[in-house]
Amino acid sequence: MSTVNLPRHLLASVEKPARYTGGEWNSIVKTVPEAAEQALRPFLRYAFCFPDTYEIGMSNLALRILYHLLNERPDVWCERVFAPWTDMADRMRRENLPLFALESRTPLHEFDLLGFTLQYELAFTSVLDMLDLGRVPLRTADRTLDDPFVMAGGPVVYNIEPMADFFDLVIIGEGEEVLSEVVDCYLHWKASGDTRTREGFLLAAAQIEGVYVPSFYTVTYKNDGTVQAILPNRTGVPATIRKRIILDLDQAYFPTQSIVPNTEIVHDRIFLELFRGCTRGCRFCQAGMIYRPVREKKPAVLVNQALEMEKTTGYDEVGMLSLSTSDYSALSELTDGLLCELTPHHTSISLPSLRLDNFSLELMEKASSTRKGGLTFAPEAGTQRLRDVINKNITEEDLLKAMELALRGGWSGAKLYFMLGLPTETIEDVEGIAHLAQAIEKLYQSLPRFERPKRLELSLSTAMFIPKPFTPFQWSPQADTETMKSHQMHLKDLLRHSRSVRYKWHEPRQSYIEGVLARGDRRLGKVIEAAFRGGARFDAWDEQFKYDLWIDCLEKAGLDPNFYARRERSRQEIFPWSHIDCGVTEDFLWSEYQQAILAQTTPECREQCSACGAQCFGGGVCYE
Amino acid sequence: MSETFIVRLRFSRREPAIWLAHLDMMRTFERSIRRAGLPICWSQGYNPRPQMTFALPISVGLATAGDYLDLSLEEDLEPADVMDRLNRSLPTGFAILAANRAAPSKASLMSLVRAADYRLETPGLAEAIARIANTQPLVVEKFSKGKMVDVDIRPLIEKIQLKGPDCLEMRVKAGSSANLRPDLFLKALETYGDLPAEAAADCAVTRLALILDSNDPESAGS
Ligand code: SF4
Repeated sequence: MSTVNLPRHLLASVEKPARYTGGEWNSIVKTVPEAAEQALRPFLRYAFCFPDTYEIGMSNLALRILYHLLNERPDVWCERVFAPWTDMADRMRRENLPLFALESRTPLHEFDLLGFTLQYELAFTSVLDMLDLGRVPLRTADRTLDDPFVMAGGPVVYNIEPMADFFDLVIIGEGEEVLSEVVDCYLHWKASGDTRTREGFLLAAAQIEGVYVPSFYTVTYKNDGTVQAILPNRTGVPATIRKRIILDLDQAYFPTQSIVPNTEIVHDRIFLELFRGCTRGCRFCQAGMIYRPVREKKPAVLVNQALEMEKTTGYDEVGMLSLSTSDYSALSELTDGLLCELTPHHTSISLPSLRLDNFSLELMEKASSTRKGGLTFAPEAGTQRLRDVINKNITEEDLLKAMELALRGGWSGAKLYFMLGLPTETIEDVEGIAHLAQAIEKLYQSLPRFERPKRLELSLSTAMFIPKPFTPFQWSPQADTETMKSHQMHLKDLLRHSRSVRYKWHEPRQSYIEGVLARGDRRLGKVIEAAFRGGARFDAWDEQFKYDLWIDCLEKAGLDPNFYARRERSRQEIFPWSHIDCGVTEDFLWSEYQQAILAQTTPECREQCSACGAQCFGGGVCYE
Repeated sequence: MSETFIVRLRFSRREPAIWLAHLDMMRTFERSIRRAGLPICWSQGYNPRPQMTFALPISVGLATAGDYLDLSLEEDLEPADVMDRLNRSLPTGFAILAANRAAPSKASLMSLVRAADYRLETPGLAEAIARIANTQPLVVEKFSKGKMVDVDIRPLIEKIQLKGPDCLEMRVKAGSSANLRPDLFLKALETYGDLPAEAAADCAVTRLALILDSNDPESAGS
C-alpha cells in the first residue's frame, strides 16, 4: 500500500488546490487492517469515483448518501475520487503521479472496487481519463487480479452499452440496498479463498437483482446496423436486468453527518430529498420515467433530518433536491416546519424549481421571508400545441399569472427554460418562445408603476432536445445541428427589441454528440477510447469540448453518427438497452409516443394512473 | 443594542488546511462556530453573517503558527470554554492555541497588526540570502490595483535570521499600511539571489506570529 505525495509546487500552481487535499469535516479516515488480519476477516477498500470536478461531484446526492452508508460498515472504507481539472491532470502526468483518493491519498489502482456514478454521457471520456491517471487498465478484458473491479451506477447506466467494454459491473437503479449486497458478495468471494479468476466474483455478483455484468452478454447486429439480439453468454445469468428501488424512503438510510467541504461547491448547503421520481410524465424527460414510481418522505422525517444536519454540519441554508419540488404533497407542512425550527438559528430555506401551474404567492413569501432566491420556470416549449406534444401541462395563462404574482411580490424577473428541436417542432413553435417573452414584457408594462419592480429582467435559455432511452421519444430522430442553429438565430433576431430579455443558448454540436452516445451501442466503445486518447475529457464543459475530434473518431471507426442520433426507429427495433428493465413498459412508452404525435396529453399519476408498468415494484404513488 | 463580548483567539493552520483560500477559511470558521453552538453575534442587514474578524488574511499555501481572530459573542463565556468547544468542531489542520477576553474597541483587530514573523524552508536559502546582502533596493514587480507596479521591498524587511542552509526566519512589516507577502520576498530571492525557481515554488512558508500594536494590552495572547 502506498500514498501519493503531493509536492508544494504542484498544489501551489493549480487552480483551487483545496479540491485535492481532503481533510473536510465529517470526512472519514479509517485504519486499514494488517494483511494477516485481512486474511481472516476481509476488508474492502472502495473508491467512490465522480467523473467531474470536486465542486460538482460533492453536490451529488448519491455520493453523499452512499459514502456514509458504506462507511457505516466496519469491513469497508469508502473514499472519494474526483476528476482532477486539466491543469492538475496535466501536471500529475508530467510528474508521474497517479490519481489518488482524497482520504488516504492511495493510488486508484490499489483499491478493490471503484464505483463511478454517471450523471451525463459527456462524462464518459473523463471516466477513462481517471482510470488512466489512476493506472487501471481501461478495458475489463485487460484487467488482472491485481486490478480493481470497475463499477458504474447513476441515471446514465440505463444505457451503458457505449461503455460496456470498460465497466466490469453496473448497478441499475437506486444503490442503498444493492451496493451493500455487492460489497457482501465481494467480501464473501475474498473469504472463500477461491479467487483465481475475476469471473468468480462477477458470476456471483450477476446473481444479485439489479446487477448487470456487460461482458456476460453477447450483442449481435443485423446488416442494417441495428441490434439482432442481446443474449447471456453464461448460464445462470438473467436475460433481463431489472432496476432496484427503495420503497420506503422514511426508513431508508440517510446520512446526517454529511461532509462539509472546505471549498465552495455547487450545492453548498444541507440538502433534503423530499421524494424520488416525478408524477408528471413529461415525455422528453428520462428522469421522470426511470425513477418511477414516486415515493415521498414524510415531512416530520425531513424536518428531523434538517435539524440534525444543521447541528452536525454548521450549514446555514437548507435546499431541496427533487425533480419537481413543488409537487411534494406536504410542501406547506414541510416549509412551515422548517421555518419554525430553523430560522431562529439564522438558517434560511431555498426553494428551487417552482412549477408554474401550482405556483403560489404563499410559497413564495415563505421562501422570501428568509432570503429571496431566483425564480425559475420551465415552459420548455413555445406553443400550447408543442407543450401538449411533450405533455408539459402548463398554459400561457399559468405563466402570466405566476409572473404577475412574482412581479407584484417584488421579484424583478425570472429564468425561463425552453428546448429547441422537440419532435414535431415547426418555426411557429420557435416563434412562440419569443411571443411568450414578449407577453411577459407587455404584462410588466401594464402593471401600475408602484406595483412592479423598477426593471424587468428575463433570462431565457434554450437547450437542444436530446431523445433518451426509456422515454416515449426513444424512437424519435434528433433534430439536425444546422436547423437548430438557424432556429437559434431566428429566435435571437425576434428578441432583438426585447430589451429586458437576455437570451442564452446551448451549443448544438455538443448535444449532437451527447445524442449519439445516449442511444449508442457497444461499437461506440472504441470511439470513446479514441476520443480520450486524442485528448477529449470534460466534454460537458463548453470550452473543453472537441467536436471535430469526435467526428474524426467516429469516421475512423466507420460509424455514422446520424445512425444513432438522427434515425427514426421502428416499433420492432431491438434497442441496445432492451435487456434493461426500468419497470415502465415499452408498450406504455410507445403509446405515449403515439399520443405525442397527436398532441394528446396524458394525466399525471395522482390524477389518473396510466398503468405505465411501474406498479410492478409494489409501492409508491401507484398504491396511494 | 445588547452587550457583546469579544474573545480573541490565537490559532494555527497546517496541512491540509493551508490550501484553503481566505474566503474558504472564513466560511469554514463560520460553520465550525455554528457546530460548536457558540452564541455568536450576527451582523444586521439583508444578508446577516456571524461576527468575526481575522487579523490578517492568509494566502493559499501559507501555514500559520499564530494568527488572531476575534469573535463577538452574545454571552460572556469562559475563553477556555470557547477554545475547547471550537477545537472539537474544527476540521483537520486547524487548532485554537489560546483564547482571551478582549475589550470591545474602536480600533479593529486588523488595524493593530504591525509586523509578522515568518519561517521559510527550502534548499539554497542561505546562499541566496548571501547574494542579496548588498543589493540595496530590492525592486520586484507586484500586482496592485489591477496593474503591475515596481516596489522596493527592502524597507519592509525588519530582520532576517538564518537557521541553517535551508531555513530562515524573518520579521517583516504587516498590516494595512505596509505589508510584505512572503511570495514577493521569494521573488526577490529568485531575481537577485539566484534562488532556483523550483526551490522557490517548493518553499514551505509558516507565519510564526503576528505582532500586534503594543498599545493594546490584550494582544499579548498567551
Ligand atoms: S403505474 Fe400509474 S401511478 Fe404508478 S407510476 Fe405508472 S402511471 Fe404513475
